Amino acid sequence: MGKLLKKSAANDFFRSLQKKGSLYAPVSTDMVRFQHIKTPEALRSIDFDGHAFFPPKKYLLPNEEELFTIKQGKLQDTNQSLPPQFVVNVRLCDLNAIAILDKLYLDPDYPDPYYKAKRDATTFIGINCKREIDEYCFCGSMDLQRAYDLLLDDRGEHYYIDVRSDKGMALVKELPDAPEQQDPTLPKTSKVLDQKDLHQFFADKWWEGDNELCVSCQRCTALCPTCFCFDVKDDMDLNLQDGKRLRTIDSCHSADFTTVAGDHTFRSSRLQRYRHRVMHKLQYYKDTFERSMCTGCGRCIRYCHSKIDFVKTINEDFK
Amino acid sequence: MSNYFEHTPVEILAKTWESPDTVTFRVNWQPKHDPGQFIEISIPGVGESPISFCSWNPTYCEFNVRVVGNVTKAISKLEPGDTMHVRGPYGKGYPMDYFKNNHLLFIGGGCGVAPLKGIIEYVQHHRKHFKDVDLYFGYRSRDDILFKHLLEHWEKEFFLHVTIDKDAGDFHYSCPVGFVTQAVQEADIPPDNKIVFLCGPPVMMEKTMPLLLDKGFHEDQIWVSAERHMKCCTGKCGHCMINGKYVCKDGPVFRYDEIKGVTE
Ligand SMILES: Cc1cc2nc3c(=O)[nH]c(=O)nc-3n(C[C@H](O)[C@H](O)[C@H](O)COP(=O)(O)OP(=O)(O)OC[C@H]3O[C@@H](n4cnc5c(N)ncnc54)[C@H](O)[C@@H]3O)c2cc1C
Ligand code: SF4
Ligand code: SF4
Ligand code: FES
Repeated sequence: MGKLLKKSAANDFFRSLQKKGSLYAPVSTDMVRFQHIKTPEALRSIDFDGHAFFPPKKYLLPNEEELFTIKQGKLQDTNQSLPPQFVVNVRLCDLNAIAILDKLYLDPDYPDPYYKAKRDATTFIGINCKREIDEYCFCGSMDLQRAYDLLLDDRGEHYYIDVRSDKGMALVKELPDAPEQQDPTLPKTSKVLDQKDLHQFFADKWWEGDNELCVSCQRCTALCPTCFCFDVKDDMDLNLQDGKRLRTIDSCHSADFTTVAGDHTFRSSRLQRYRHRVMHKLQYYKDTFERSMCTGCGRCIRYCHSKIDFVKTINEDFK
Repeated sequence: MSNYFEHTPVEILAKTWESPDTVTFRVNWQPKHDPGQFIEISIPGVGESPISFCSWNPTYCEFNVRVVGNVTKAISKLEPGDTMHVRGPYGKGYPMDYFKNNHLLFIGGGCGVAPLKGIIEYVQHHRKHFKDVDLYFGYRSRDDILFKHLLEHWEKEFFLHVTIDKDAGDFHYSCPVGFVTQAVQEADIPPDNKIVFLCGPPVMMEKTMPLLLDKGFHEDQIWVSAERHMKCCTGKCGHCMINGKYVCKDGPVFRYDEIKGVTE
């Protein structure tokens, strides 16, 4: 189902969302970042062209979140109810990343209530890429799906809004219907990752070359839209009776990520940690969910301290 | 929606120091569980620790905790009458039905004996389902021996062999000095119709495995319990993952052929 939105009316549409809840959108400053668009005036600063430095996963998995309040040595529930929030101009790679996180965090055996509360309150509205943003994007090879409520597709004077859910439809029902349904063409990229069974290359020496350049800075995991590992710790006031139980974003690149009592660390070398990240992204998740956990957003290469490019290594060296 | 991070308060019925750094708590809690599963014990303000069930019976649960850091130290300060905060059970335990009519061989090192005690108690409650039971337990020193008060019963009911790495002294169970791996190596244990339960520190598991295979045990006769750093126990925090397997959800108990060759 498609709707039409005149480009000149895009801000009116975003204004309608602002009235329904909090609006978050990319804004170009020194770099493109998702920001809270609080006022009608701020709508003008919304960016339609860039690729956000930090992915929108932060609206579901903040860097730090309170699981419980601790009062007088007792855990107390924190309030999980959230007003509606709208995250707009999200690119297809990052929309697919949310679908990937949903599989893990809304797993029917143990749904994560903190994630679910945010997920239920949040609508992600996408914007289609007409062309790759830069030479690091390789989403074109990552089997991206139309995983969104709404996606704006640039059609000259108009945006064609591709509607994929009732949640999305409720927001655009006032807009005129598109004369015919025309599924947006998903982005193609000149960089592509050759799909290989990486289990076969687990012991390959080529990991070592990339690993030698890695400085364990953990940027790749922080910026990856599908990295989700966390730590849990209690942060206490000086009285040691009051405080909070926090969940904080963690990284499989950190040296003590797998340390257990007796000071035994299972992935004690950086090579093991580097390989684990890439294997998880490209192979392990796929073993269970039949799609890669990587969406080809390119951030972990684009912003890598040493510009390590696993796509290149896998394509050229893993034979 | 229920919150898997939320705890159930349970009353501590008894507390026994097994060794200078290891303490067993008995709590008034009757969750349905299989031997080999585990829980998280929480101390608000300090943190949480994953701890295995070390008992199996319908009226109470026991947990054996070794003091190694902040959380386990705080747990060890709890006393009978106090409330313990628990969440779980988690993970896949031992599929006990699958082992019916087999001889059972337990090989445990140090703290690894605690979860094995849970299986032993299950076997005691379902004695006619299983054949002979052999226990091979190794400890660093005499002081480190766990469940001393049970040795007498185990010795009557099963074949019991306890080893001590050093300094056996004049302990009643004249324990040979040396590693439990040596005892296993020297023992005459034909593999037919046997199931092995192996639990202990990583180095002990690594050393024991080739010995068992040498004796002709098949990989699918050996069950291991893996330990990993764990924060969520529900397949979300990523800490326990090895080679795509979540130890918290897919384990901690694995049949050896399922995780053999699984490398970090
Ligand atoms: C499935 C499972 C079952 C276990 N069963 C038992 C048991 O029955 N009895 C027992 O005494 N211990 C058991 N452990 C180990 C126990 O969980 C850790 O020793 C304990 O969490 C350490 O916490 P701490 O705060 O006291 O130590 P810390 O001071 O935090 O750390 C001491 C060491 O333990 C490691 N560690 C810290 N937190 C964890 C964690 N959440 N998971 C694993 N390692 C951690 C640290 O990296 C460090 O090397 C089990 C662990 C697992 C994963
Ligand atoms: S990776 Fe694809 S969807 Fe993401 S920004 Fe680049 S072209 Fe767009
Ligand atoms: S692994 Fe890299 S390219 Fe793939 S989704 Fe994560 S940050 Fe993007
Ligand atoms: S303990 Fe968190 S994923 Fe297993």
